[in-house]
Amino acid sequence: VKFSQTAVIPAAREPLWNFLMDVPKVAKSLPGVETVEQLDDTTYQGTLKVRVGPISLTLQGKIIVEERDQQSWRATLRAEAADKRAAGAVKGKTSMQLKERSPKETELVVETDVNILGKIGEFGQPIIRKKADQMLQEFVENIKKQLAA
Amino acid sequence: MIPFEYRTPKSLKEVQADLQQFGTDAKLVAGGTALIIMMRQRLLRPSCLVSLRSVRGLNAIAPKDGGLKIGGLVTHREVETSSLVRRHVPLLAETYRHVATIRVRTMATVGGGLAHADPNQDPAPTLIALGATVKASSAAGSRVIPIEEFFTDYYETVLKPEEIVTEIYVPKLPANSGAAFLKFLPRTADDYATVSAAAVVTLDRSKKTFADVRLALGSVGTTPIRAREAEDALRGQPVKPEALREAAEKAKSAVDPISDFRGSAAYKKEMAGVFVRRALEKALEGITARKPKPKAKSSRAAPKRRKR
Repeated sequence: VKFSQTAVIPAAREPLWNFLMDVPKVAKSLPGVETVEQLDDTTYQGTLKVRVGPISLTLQGKIIVEERDQQSWRATLRAEAADKRAAGAVKGKTSMQLKERSPKETELVVETDVNILGKIGEFGQPIIRKKADQMLQEFVENIKKQLAA
Repeated sequence: MIPFEYRTPKSLKEVQADLQQFGTDAKLVAGGTALIIMMRQRLLRPSCLVSLRSVRGLNAIAPKDGGLKIGGLVTHREVETSSLVRRHVPLLAETYRHVATIRVRTMATVGGGLAHADPNQDPAPTLIALGATVKASSAAGSRVIPIEEFFTDYYETVLKPEEIVTEIYVPKLPANSGAAFLKFLPRTADDYATVSAAAVVTLDRSKKTFADVRLALGSVGTTPIRAREAEDALRGQPVKPEALREAAEKAKSAVDPISDFRGSAAYKKEMAGVFVRRALEKALEGITARKPKPKAKSSRAAPKRRKR
């Protein structure tokens, strides 16, 4: 499933970029993230808890930063995670782009291509997009709070 | 399968006590047609199953205030075949007949189906169009929820973990009303709908103007959807094909389907419009075909002409 999302964050591009590149910090702003630790320069390991209707998943996996290009304000992440109890797994790629709206406003464009494998995929397909939208919204709210602090 | 505790309460009170004790770790199981599949696929792992099989007092269908109340443990098949339902709310019997296969209908319960909240199910759109309410109860008491407020998201409802659906109530239709449910099934008869649409239409006394309309759709979003803008487009309008077409257009913008093997999102959206229009036409036929006081046999035996 591919989808693209946008959000406007009331912050200048540079500090936002620096914030977003601090993976463990950013991860804490992402709803459902329970742990994150750095393995090497570009690889992180963590757990994410997601609830879809009556089903809750604990996804355990890796995030790899594939591209980090401040010149074009673009970063790409690859993530692979599997549910502990083997109901399914997630593989995905997300790219982020920051566009300057004004000196104090930045547009965040997120493009995601995600595959959900296993039973949870069959079940969850209809809601992935919506869930992603919810998560981004919460994420943005959390970033706003953190940047304001 | 993963071990779990199995409870067999005999009364609603005992059910409520079990739910209070286990909270979110417990799952109610009635027919098991949905829950067991999800457990076998390891999507759900409740630590306690509360079987409703031996619970008494929740499986009656009875008239109430001109409408019908239906116990939460009444099976789909019972709704389908009940003479009371067929007499009072024939659309309900017809809708439940569309659900899956006879094996599923024999097991699946009315309350269980609603609590499962799969947006592809058939009964919800009809119940929304009929203005039904859901009664949920827990140890703390009971409450009545309009069914269109019952579904909150994909497989999610307003039910709290300690609540159980004990009853639904379907009110009597006003005079000059017609109702229809259509299920678009391009694949097999026991499939989920590509789109389903339910319409309840009430005309004014002249039978030339829409007094009230209720429209709901299934399988085209993360919940069943009431198409309010489409309804508004009809209320107070003269009964004309243009009005139906406009309502169908409005219904298209109310839905948010996804592409799957039952059709692309764009196709489903288009079909949502088509099936809303056809459901409206069928509901209207029900009004005009009915004589004010039909002689039981002669009018029922008259074959209806099919309009394409």
